Amino acid sequence: MIASIPSAVLQGVDGCPIVVEVHVANGLPGFTVVGLPDAAVRESRDRVRASFASSGLPWPRRRITVNLAPSAIPKGGAGLDLPIALGVLVASGVVAPEAVAGYAFVGELGLDGSLRGVPGALALADALRSHRLVVAVEDGPEASLAGGTCLTAPNLVEVVARCTGRRPWPGPPPATTGPQGTDDGSGPAGDLAEVRGHLLARRALEVAATGGHHLLMVGPPGAGKTLLANRLPGLLPDLDDATARVATRIRSAAGIGGATTSLLRRPPFRAPHHGLSAVAMIGGGTGALRPGEVSLAHGGTLFLDELGEFPTTVLDALRQPLEDGVVRVSRSHGSSTCPARFLLVAAMNPCPCGEGGVPGGCRCPPAARARYGRRLSGPLLDRFDITLRIDRPADTELLDRDPGESTAVVAARVAEARARAGARGVPTNAELDGPALDRATPLDDRATACLEAHLRSGKLSARGLLRVRRLARTVADLDGAGDTVEPRHVSEALFLRGGRDLLFGEETR
Amino acid sequence: MSAGPDQDLDCAAALLDLAGMTPVRLAKLLDGFGPRLAWRSVAAGTHPADRGRKFARAARGVRPADAARRYESAGIRLLLPDRAGYPAALAGDPGAPAVLCADGDTSVLEARPAVAVVGTRSATPYGVKVAAGLGRELAAAGVVVVSGLALGIDAAAHAGALAAGSTGAPPLAVVGTGLDVVYPQENRLLWERVAAVGAVLSEAPLGTAPRPRVFPARNRIIAALSDVVVVVECHGRGGSLYTAEAAARRSIPVCAVPGSVLSPASRGTNGLLVDGCTPVRDVSDVLVAVALARGDAPVRAAGTAAGPPPVGGVAALGLDRVGRLVWEAVEDTPTTVETVLLRTNLSLAALTEAVADLVGLGLLVSGAGWWSRA
Repeated sequence: MIASIPSAVLQGVDGCPIVVEVHVANGLPGFTVVGLPDAAVRESRDRVRASFASSGLPWPRRRITVNLAPSAIPKGGAGLDLPIALGVLVASGVVAPEAVAGYAFVGELGLDGSLRGVPGALALADALRSHRLVVAVEDGPEASLAGGTCLTAPNLVEVVARCTGRRPWPGPPPATTGPQGTDDGSGPAGDLAEVRGHLLARRALEVAATGGHHLLMVGPPGAGKTLLANRLPGLLPDLDDATARVATRIRSAAGIGGATTSLLRRPPFRAPHHGLSAVAMIGGGTGALRPGEVSLAHGGTLFLDELGEFPTTVLDALRQPLEDGVVRVSRSHGSSTCPARFLLVAAMNPCPCGEGGVPGGCRCPPAARARYGRRLSGPLLDRFDITLRIDRPADTELLDRDPGESTAVVAARVAEARARAGARGVPTNAELDGPALDRATPLDDRATACLEAHLRSGKLSARGLLRVRRLARTVADLDGAGDTVEPRHVSEALFLRGGRDLLFGEETR
Repeated sequence: MSAGPDQDLDCAAALLDLAGMTPVRLAKLLDGFGPRLAWRSVAAGTHPADRGRKFARAARGVRPADAARRYESAGIRLLLPDRAGYPAALAGDPGAPAVLCADGDTSVLEARPAVAVVGTRSATPYGVKVAAGLGRELAAAGVVVVSGLALGIDAAAHAGALAAGSTGAPPLAVVGTGLDVVYPQENRLLWERVAAVGAVLSEAPLGTAPRPRVFPARNRIIAALSDVVVVVECHGRGGSLYTAEAAARRSIPVCAVPGSVLSPASRGTNGLLVDGCTPVRDVSDVLVAVALARGDAPVRAAGTAAGPPPVGGVAALGLDRVGRLVWEAVEDTPTTVETVLLRTNLSLAALTEAVADLVGLGLLVSGAGWWSRA
């Protein structure tokens, strides 16, 4: 007899619906699984058999064949334990086929028959929205975020009892919608009011948060680069529904941050150490395609401290996701596309000794300094809209000043300015394309002349011009100016854009 | 091999070109021997300073005339002590190079005072400005500007001396590498112009690569060639202090340009001033020191090197309130943008606009995160 049980497996961060077909026939007793199962699925044979024994369910002493259809795509994870178990029950006649009609199952079985959660429950539930989905109790809140019917049970016996109507399903688990903490403990979000001085950097953070402009901070050790970067997530507004859903799915698929009980509302903040591999940054890996740091930072901030210490291959791998907002990873057994739209914030020292802030301070040989600067490829550097020097604050000029504005005050300004970008149909100004930019930022004559002078002097490339105009648009939005962009906005944008020479050369003359 | 005098040069070139030869070893080989005798005993393996026969092996099959032709075809003259062309200032010097390679006109040193203008490679705009000004005005006053063709102060001094034009004294450079190894590459053009107008000297054989030890040795020649050594900018530890030390050992006056006590690039020069060196405010201070050193009447300066900032000029430009505010907040030394923001209390947009105007007027220069007065 044949049973077909709907279920789903993870492909990257997306759920892919599959059908678990179980055939029980006469012949030598055996249990085979076909349809490109990975090791975890093959091992599910032993878990399923043991859970039958512990649950007091009869194990058919016949030949059992399990096919995972479509058989062309590879399947991984322990989430197929439950559908295989149900398939065996139906195919061996213990449970009537009508009892499981309309249901889909996802869950890992323990040897005692208990039901356990799986990574990526939200993505799997998304793929099975048209079914009544049965998951483990711990996956209930997350799976119910998908919006379909979600049912939970503590163990295999309960699943059978509830499907066959011997016991009722409990009510749907309450889905909490309150905002969650910033993220998975990857950095405490401090308040901007704690930052003394750093007027320039505060301004740069505000502009970066408003326009989604990538930010590179260069400065000596102890200048406060990390301190400042940690305060950036606080300036970003809550994620909108679509982004929150995607960000939650990615996090859940990666299996980080423990059980998900609500959508991730605060933008994520990822600060990977510079020892990470290109795969950890971009995603991929053998077996299941895991989302990388760029995807985990989707909708939020990716902070790369000590940018100069990252391997060049890892940095150059960032270029494509930075441009496209998605990352495509291909492996021999399949490919996957992950969203990866994030705000890149990086910090590095100006030179190996770290003291090259003001001319005359650095004792590195010029060759060593040039070599250090060359670690950043031109194309990557070009993607930083804001390049900024951060110097240690001069304490004498700080002591008699009030503490700066708090995160809440700046975040309110950011939200207001972002609303202006939203009115143009883009989430942030950094995503304005050429024609939209022409409509959004009419330059007045003096501003045009100022840009032309920079273009002619060769300090600005065509791509740079586009980025400066986006940046000027953001500055004008923050200023509350109307539609036109004034010369002062352009000059601030030109200043913030900086450039490679400004960072690594001693002089620009 | 023809007449006697040429044979001396041939043998000197052959010795200089031997594998593993350094200026110090060459001086030992030539000391008391002279080129011809030294070459013959090295080739015969009987030279007492070549016990290990290292150079004897290297000399096998070498024809002195070929070595000399190599230098000749590169346009390089070899100068030997007690022979025409060898700088008189080096003649009695205890550390005088046994052989000097020269590219250009070596007569520049005759009958002219010489002043070394040296300093750090990582110079501030202030140091570059002072060095260029001193170079130009010393050359205009007929003083040969001696320096090392390094980045920073050295380059600025040479460029300044060249800027004095054909009426000024030609510049002189002493380098640590072989004369066919331009180092640093950034100064190639400057190097060629100095060689064309004045001269470039080196005690290293052709092909000598830049190694850390060649530069202090080069500095002693710069000191020995000069009547006065001026250190423009120098860190707490630096090669320029070696030049100053070499000058002091030869009783050559050392002058230093005072700098901000906050500037790390002036730590060495300010230290020299504390040690009793003469402070240099402008070119006339240097010219007085030259006159005292040579016992001449002071040479009149053509102008001032680094005068006070043109305050009157700024007022005359009719800057608006914001422009004046920004101008007053920016110092002569690099002032960080952060500091200017604090001082002016302007928004970044207003500040950058005002600075762009001031840069356009040539009043300010902008650097990596700092601005300073031009």
